Amino acid sequence: MASALEQFVNTVRTLSSQGNYRDLCDYLSKSNEILIKNGQHLDNVLETLDIQQHSLGVLAVLNAKYNTPLVNATNENRFKQVKDFIFNCNGEQIRLAPDLFAELCHLVTANLTEQKQPIKGISLLQKAISKLQLYDSQLTSIHADLCQLCLLSKCFKPALEILDIDITGICQENVQGQSGSHFDAKYFLLYYYYGGMIYLALRNLDRALYFLEVAITTPAQEVSHIMLESYKKYILVSLLLHGKILVIPKYTSRVVNRFIKPLSQPYHELTNGFASNNSAELNMIVNKHNEVFARDHNLGLVKQVVSVLYKKNIQRLTKTFLTLSLSDVASRVGLASPNDAENYILHMIEDKQIYATINQKDGMVIFRDEPDKYGGPEVLKGLETQLQQCMELDKQILAMDEEIQVNPQYVKKATGLQEDEQPSKSAYAI
Amino acid sequence: MVINNNIEKLAEDLEKQELEAPNGIPLPQIYAQLLAIYLYQNDLCNAKYLWKRIPVNVKSSNPELGNIWTVGQHMWKRDFPAIYKALNAVTWSDSVAEIMKILHEKVRSRAIDLIEQAYSSISLDMVAAMTGLSQDVAGAACVERGWSVEMDTHIIHPVRSNLQSSGDTSSEDQLYKLTEFVSFLEN
Repeated sequence: MASALEQFVNTVRTLSSQGNYRDLCDYLSKSNEILIKNGQHLDNVLETLDIQQHSLGVLAVLNAKYNTPLVNATNENRFKQVKDFIFNCNGEQIRLAPDLFAELCHLVTANLTEQKQPIKGISLLQKAISKLQLYDSQLTSIHADLCQLCLLSKCFKPALEILDIDITGICQENVQGQSGSHFDAKYFLLYYYYGGMIYLALRNLDRALYFLEVAITTPAQEVSHIMLESYKKYILVSLLLHGKILVIPKYTSRVVNRFIKPLSQPYHELTNGFASNNSAELNMIVNKHNEVFARDHNLGLVKQVVSVLYKKNIQRLTKTFLTLSLSDVASRVGLASPNDAENYILHMIEDKQIYATINQKDGMVIFRDEPDKYGGPEVLKGLETQLQQCMELDKQILAMDEEIQVNPQYVKKATGLQEDEQPSKSAYAI
Repeated sequence: MVINNNIEKLAEDLEKQELEAPNGIPLPQIYAQLLAIYLYQNDLCNAKYLWKRIPVNVKSSNPELGNIWTVGQHMWKRDFPAIYKALNAVTWSDSVAEIMKILHEKVRSRAIDLIEQAYSSISLDMVAAMTGLSQDVAGAACVERGWSVEMDTHIIHPVRSNLQSSGDTSSEDQLYKLTEFVSFLEN
């Protein structure tokens, strides 16, 4: 038994010292079984390996440790070992086995979730992501783990650091797969779903809508539950932000229209209720489907939608009237009392959603025009940043285009087509 | 102890301390300070979730945390009179007293801005309630700001001041950006 482990240590050491990491990766993928079988001796193995020099070996051992059943209360110790490893390992080595490294992070995440101590893993996974990434805007499957831990611990700021960076590339994990390198779609969807939820929690609706849109427009052949839940939230956020469902981009796969839409019927009813601009009707629909919304954990969002309808109706009043009494506002919008109306208007003024002045003496509201604000330096600044974003985007697209142009598969297909066409053309000519 | 400008840095420090705390549970003072700072920054979302993630036993053994959050709850509802009441109801411990003091000032100045923007006439009662001052003090403060007061009806007419904007960029910087734009558009 012990000799198998001895052999493992020796192989790891020789291959590492030769710098023969490719063979080492192959060897490690085969030795998983031996390690799991000898679970109780793994700590001894760890002691003989150096975190910096034999990062890959240590990685395999730690993975095995998380895959073996726990021997009495060593969880704390095991977590410490992983922490030590992630903070001190050799980035170059672990990038050769991204699948193993990501797997370790998934295992740690699952374990912390089970232990109900998600906050402990946040800084750890932040570090892990930066070790695995080649550049900041590269998506790894650990991103989803970090978002999950942040959601569970209700501590969102660390997640924002990665969410705020737009993804431009995807880390090629699972190199060992037969079909070449690929990235598990589950983690891609989860990242955008969790990310959307985090932005929602922090009331950054614009960004939340974008994240959910990415989730529902991911090419798909089958219905994924993540996509279904994303779609439901997408409807609600869309109502909150724009007062209607935005048209879903054309490139959305057909499963969304064919299966996901019928599955979200209560949400579409809610949208129709919203479009009627009638708060009483909307409330009726909310009550009717209360159970569904509660089961989907979307009740809070639905309640926000209801409150937004009042605000939207007040906003519509500003288009028709110049002045209106507070009691008129209340009755037209469907609020219980002039006091409620005043409160809503006060909040909206503070949030700059309407421009109005309240005259308490006469109980009137005077709606004003939007002040002219298109001349200041802020506007220029806004334009500048937008232009800069456009330039960045242009650069990205050019780079991606170039990549496709020189892709052997594409070249082969493109030229192959021509060859097919040419004889038919000549035949036509004759 | 706390200086206005450093408050963001302090917040970052505290956030980091929370993440690095053993078992993910830092000292109660860290929670208290961070919660107070979020309120000061009017970052109610983060304050809410911080409150939610504080373990129950820490909350029950440190009633001050609950007191701070009461202020936050009223801020969430934008119930100005209740905010002042919650702020004045307790004497804050040394670790948060200073932050709570500047929070108090900030809430009041926010209320004054809001009155100025939202009302063309408002009762003195309401001004006093929204600023947390007594009627006499509030009335005097209004006169000082140049708002006219109708003595007999106690109605105040706030004067709207234009919000001035700040943020100039140096012309050299601007020139550099412009050249970049032009070279981008031309190519």
